[in-house]
Amino acid sequence: MCGLDTEQTAPRLNRCTAFIVQHWGIDDTGMAAALSKAFLRCLIREHTQLSRDHLTPELMLHLITPACHLWSAKFENSPFDDPFWAFYWPGGQALTRYIFDNPHVVRGKTVLDIGSGCGSSAIAASLVGASKAVANDIDAVAEVAISMNSEKNGASVIPDTSNYLMFPTVPSPDPSRFDIIFMGDMFYDPDFTQLIDDWLAGIGRETMVLIGDPGRLLFMEHPLMSKLKPVARYSLNKTSQLENNGLTDASVWRLIM
Amino acid sequence: MSGLRVLVGCKRVIDYAVKIRVKPDNTGVITEGVKHSMNPFDEIAVEEAVRMKEKKLASEIIAVSCGPTQCQETLRTAMAMGADKSIHVEVDAASYENLQPLHVAKILAKVAQDVKADIVFTGKQAIDDDCNQTGQMVAALLDWPQATFASKIEKANGDLTVTREIDGGLETIKVQLPAVLTADLRLNEPRYATLPNIMKAKKKKMEKKKPEDYGVDIGPRQSILKVEDPPVRQAGSKLDSVETLVSKLKDAGLVPS
Repeated sequence: MCGLDTEQTAPRLNRCTAFIVQHWGIDDTGMAAALSKAFLRCLIREHTQLSRDHLTPELMLHLITPACHLWSAKFENSPFDDPFWAFYWPGGQALTRYIFDNPHVVRGKTVLDIGSGCGSSAIAASLVGASKAVANDIDAVAEVAISMNSEKNGASVIPDTSNYLMFPTVPSPDPSRFDIIFMGDMFYDPDFTQLIDDWLAGIGRETMVLIGDPGRLLFMEHPLMSKLKPVARYSLNKTSQLENNGLTDASVWRLIM
Repeated sequence: MSGLRVLVGCKRVIDYAVKIRVKPDNTGVITEGVKHSMNPFDEIAVEEAVRMKEKKLASEIIAVSCGPTQCQETLRTAMAMGADKSIHVEVDAASYENLQPLHVAKILAKVAQDVKADIVFTGKQAIDDDCNQTGQMVAALLDWPQATFASKIEKANGDLTVTREIDGGLETIKVQLPAVLTADLRLNEPRYATLPNIMKAKKKKMEKKKPEDYGVDIGPRQSILKVEDPPVRQAGSKLDSVETLVSKLKDAGLVPS
């Protein structure tokens, strides 16, 4: 775990997929997907470490930590395109901490975690008694990482790769059918930041929206700010600060329509 | 937000570890196919700005670089180190050969006014031309106080207390804001940009501008006559005894005979 030569493993994902298709003559898509998932599980296990070094030590998560070679690797040497799921984002940490500290908020409720990454918020919700916890991330690798993290922590989270943010333009389940929506660190990307405003306006008022963010500029300057109420603030631990140069804490905000 | 807005100048230079080669026609040095990186003194300036943000003194860090397209890599590094966003002032490769500190100072001064910066921060000098002019000229153009060769920066009420490295010792001065700062070697030790930071920086905003956007004429004010290698050091010789050394020194007239 966590110590392979990147130069050897980098092209492995593509090679293996090609190998499966070419040599095993898989035309059964279900079988190919299962094999691909099994392969991703191996890859995730190889390149990450199970870590409790974050704001929610209740959870053990597959993460790229300072002990992993990918931590200091160059982007080109990563076998994963965007291993966003391999980092426990500060806004996600704050949201997940908030869920553990305030289980009554989610108990018995259906929750949707948008841009779930490692799946932590959905996992926490499932563990404290949510009736249904959906971890949504459009990244297929994240889907596998979420399943692994969910199993490791004895949670029952449903991974989902639908593009909820494009609802209703692109068919996806209606996000308004959930009681609670979590959005951890969605404001790091200017495209999302623009999209989120309209998207949230389309969400039914019965749905509670909780946002986690470490005070990124795009978020702090967002017009949405006037509709948000801060509900919790946490200091980030050392590792998390190293992972997020310039940021030292993260907060949870509730959307007041 | 009440914190300071810091504008950091980041020059892309030939990497400090590269052996510089002069072009055969003596018009400059060879830059093609040579490793470049951020000017080390500018890296120190970025690091200090990020530390100011972590101490909540600064709320926003904007990195700026003038030069060809490749400067965007330098800006990505600055953002991976913790800058919030960046501005690339594009100068084509041919014009860049004649870009001088005065041009860059004029651009930085305009950008500073444009973004309403409280601090313009640069390295004390760039390791390629060793000019040591840009920061000082920005201060003159803006009519702001300057604290150059900074080795320690502290905030005292509304002012900054800056320790400067001067001949034979240290000087401590107080400057009012807005001000221009330039970083000396001992100010700090810059952090490495790790994978999680590089990944997240990919989404940070990079504005693209041209010198004309700031009304700055980059026509050359001086011309380079000649660039030459330093004289090659003469070979020494090995002597077998102190007596031979003394007689050699006497022959050379370096000690009285």
